[in-house]
Amino acid sequence: MGTIVELHQDPKVSEVKETTDLALFVRTSNEDLVTWNRQRIVDALVRETLVDFDTAEAISKEVEEFIFSTKISMVTAPLIRELVDSKLIERGLEKARIMHTRLGVPLYDVDQMIVHPNKENANVPHGPEATNLTLAEGIKKEYALLSVFSSQVGDAHMRGDFHLHDLGFIDRPYCSGQSLEYIKRFGLNLPNALSMAKPAKHPEVLLAHMVKFAAALQSHFAGAIGWDAVNLFFAPYLEGLSDREIKQLAQMMIFEFSQQAVARGGQAIFTDINLYWEVPRHFEKVPAIGPGGKYTGKTYLDYLPLAQKFVWLLFDVFKEGDGAGRPFFFPKPLVHITEKFFQTPNHQEFLNHICEVAALKGNTYFVFDRGQTAKISECCRLSFKLEAQDLLDAHEPWRMRYCALQNVTINFPRLAYQAEGNDTTLFAKLAESVELAVEAHLQKNAFILKLLSLGERGPLSLLTMDRDGSPYLRLQRATYLIGMVGLNELVQYHTGEELHESQKAIKFGLKVIAYMKLLTDRFSQKYGMRFVLEQTPAESTAYRFAKLDLQKYPEQAGKVIKGDKAQGEVYYTNSTLFNISAQMNPVDRVRYEGLFHPLIEAGALTHIWIGESRPDKESLANFIIKTFKLTKNDQIAFSPEFTTCRACGQTSRGLMEKCPYCGSAEVDGITRITGYFTKISSWNKGKIGELRDRYRNTPYFSMREAVSPGVEEPT
Amino acid sequence: MTLFTKADCQKCHYIKDHFNLPSLGIQEEILGEDNAEALAHLAWHELIETAQKELPILILDDNTAVVGAIPIKKYLSHQNGN
Amino acid sequence: MGIKGFIETSFLDWPGKICAVLFLPYCNLRCPYCHNHELVLHPDRFSDFPWDTIQQRLEVLRNWLDGVCITGGEPTLHSDLPELLDRIHGLGLAVKLDTNGTHPEMLEFLISQKLVDYLAMDIKGPLDQKSYGRSAGVRISIPEIKKSMEFILSGRVAGEFRTTVVPEWHTAPVLAQMALELKEAPKWTHQAFNPAQPLDPALRVERGHGFERAANKANGS
Repeated sequence: MGTIVELHQDPKVSEVKETTDLALFVRTSNEDLVTWNRQRIVDALVRETLVDFDTAEAISKEVEEFIFSTKISMVTAPLIRELVDSKLIERGLEKARIMHTRLGVPLYDVDQMIVHPNKENANVPHGPEATNLTLAEGIKKEYALLSVFSSQVGDAHMRGDFHLHDLGFIDRPYCSGQSLEYIKRFGLNLPNALSMAKPAKHPEVLLAHMVKFAAALQSHFAGAIGWDAVNLFFAPYLEGLSDREIKQLAQMMIFEFSQQAVARGGQAIFTDINLYWEVPRHFEKVPAIGPGGKYTGKTYLDYLPLAQKFVWLLFDVFKEGDGAGRPFFFPKPLVHITEKFFQTPNHQEFLNHICEVAALKGNTYFVFDRGQTAKISECCRLSFKLEAQDLLDAHEPWRMRYCALQNVTINFPRLAYQAEGNDTTLFAKLAESVELAVEAHLQKNAFILKLLSLGERGPLSLLTMDRDGSPYLRLQRATYLIGMVGLNELVQYHTGEELHESQKAIKFGLKVIAYMKLLTDRFSQKYGMRFVLEQTPAESTAYRFAKLDLQKYPEQAGKVIKGDKAQGEVYYTNSTLFNISAQMNPVDRVRYEGLFHPLIEAGALTHIWIGESRPDKESLANFIIKTFKLTKNDQIAFSPEFTTCRACGQTSRGLMEKCPYCGSAEVDGITRITGYFTKISSWNKGKIGELRDRYRNTPYFSMREAVSPGVEEPT
Repeated sequence: MTLFTKADCQKCHYIKDHFNLPSLGIQEEILGEDNAEALAHLAWHELIETAQKELPILILDDNTAVVGAIPIKKYLSHQNGN
Repeated sequence: MGIKGFIETSFLDWPGKICAVLFLPYCNLRCPYCHNHELVLHPDRFSDFPWDTIQQRLEVLRNWLDGVCITGGEPTLHSDLPELLDRIHGLGLAVKLDTNGTHPEMLEFLISQKLVDYLAMDIKGPLDQKSYGRSAGVRISIPEIKKSMEFILSGRVAGEFRTTVVPEWHTAPVLAQMALELKEAPKWTHQAFNPAQPLDPALRVERGHGFERAANKANGS
């Protein structure tokens, strides 16, 4: 592929009047020209498809005859290919046609891409690198649908029965989680790299290794890159440093990850940093690795004071925000609230500190790890409980490397439309969808296995590098995610009530998710793979499903779809969330949404939108403690809103049309889109619709404008 | 009242053998890979993690839970007046 | 007394706590910047929340709530306030009372009966007839205000003083004067004046430029 064939009217050749009066120049990818050769069509057909030589010969002659019979002055390779394909169709050779398909992008689309921004993912800026990413993704997406997945799976994706995430990254796993220990122990020694670095001796170098390794991982995974217990594993490098120097490192770490919008496709690396106030039990007695990759002779428990100082200062930096006072978009700080957290001295002061950051800037994610179960949070919301093998691995923490291979999200409301109110049909349809999603996972798994089997000379050499007796990517520990969009609309269509409207509706929603959980458990047993439910972030999927259903099921979808239909700003409610606009008090939202979380093993989250309010940090801390103790909620985040001014550079709270400082209309809003902060101007229409609907909890958090009516309890 | 049990749970059988559940107004829900209803019910009572560690679980009419065979036996014996 | 407003879980009204808020009608003052004037002037426009509904919700949320904040209007105008506070205590919830301090005898009774756990008293301005009257919109007895302040200053009840800062009136010298008068106070909180819907339309400011600046100034930043 990649050859362009051009037909030129060559005056010299036409005078000769040989078998043809046309000279055909083939412009190859090496940018040279070769002359027309019918045999190339034959070769391509035989090489790429299963047609026999005679058929190939016949087709090539028909195509040649057609081209010569026309009076067109230029023919391109794609056109020749399409002409060949049309002959394959005439002969009923459908399979051969698919195998012979050319993947590419129309001229018009390329022009649009170069000139206009990509709105599918708000984390992709607009620029030449982004255009490259979009173009490459487009071709790999087509490739995946034609070549990696069966037509049954591909069609289900195209129809919008489910969504195969990151098809444009078909040749990579989904997301990755690891700790600093790998680079602390092995240095930066990557396959195909131009140089090899020994383990870092200085904190700045460790940070540089971390950033570069993250960038290397970003180019081998589709999504997030997560780091476990960053403050703890960094601590051995902080010995002997002053507070000022440690703060400087904290600042460098956050700025490095927030300004990495120069890497793949101009995208920031979607970075999660997991942070602890305590030393997690499974790391207490682990020998600490320090400068030069050497054991320091202490255990990680000995580094508690330094780890605490570092995490405190990281949050000082988050509190200040960037140079314009805006919240940092990345890295996302995930603080683990555990039983041990509450037994660790000064936890209340630290909780107040991170709650202040949550109220002012919104960065903090509160992850609740209840009971004695150790948990690790990886990419996105993906988290899981550590099993016996993991706890063994924890003694050599560089071994703790996890990934999710792929994420498939099921269009829930459509199941309800198809079931037409019949329970049996609904659950049967759900079972079919989950089965097909599992099928999709098996197909992607086989493809990745094929790439990995090419080893250190293959495309995924980074993932096959073996520094400790096993390849970097431990495929046997991978998870396969199955998500859902629009439980709320499924329940609404099927039962007549939304989740927040009655306990009956919640119970029905729980039954749907419980059913799905049992199905994935059964498939996990059957295949010896880990299929788990996840709350898909579904940044663009919630919009895509809504749009497709408005076309295919206009009557049904019209009744439950959210957003503004006239404006095209439509969406389904994400995952198992309750209606975004429902005026529920935050306690009820955290409690009732939390009922679903234990069923969704790979991670779940409740958003509390706080608009322009700045709630009291101690009251928020109080709320966090009670959420831990009184609910099963997995994770919460508070999302404030900001207006940043391009004219004067000031940042203010709330979404405003004009800058309150200088009055300029050159402003951009900033808030959390799904699991991260971005500028609102980059959002897709569905998300804009959701933003308009978000209930901002004003009566609970904000200065009161008047008496508030009470909120009725769902009964 | 509802009693959550599992098929291969000895302690659950112990309670079932000792008490006549229907006569005490207790409905049994058997957790298993085909019973989404029971799992959903367990989730509603915020007991999924508890049930992974210990069964049986008795849910009283005021929605409080009694966990484990011995406490359940004590509770039911007390209710029975013996 | 009708309960005119009910917020189930406020993160705002009792620092560090999560509390429910009950709004009671009527007030004896006419502060021009009052943002709840509908409740003061036209309480009949709001229907009453039945106590049973409130009690049921408070019971459901009891583990989450640290207490209940009673605000208004001016709650001490209601002779049956003690009964309400007693009922709240009966649910195992603490009581925070917001008051303008014009009824020290009611406060004396509530405090002696241990019906109030935290008292938040508004201080409208410097403790002279003219300044205070301007902020309160009516003539005020300063000795009565001082009597009420004494409950908090003496430590008989935990509490704080609060001042709604109107930038035009509460200038730096005025705030300095007030700080002197409140130097024994355990806590003195400033609230930014909310100019969206004040009682006196002359004080109304559209949300935006002026307000942010004023609020920043008022906060001393």
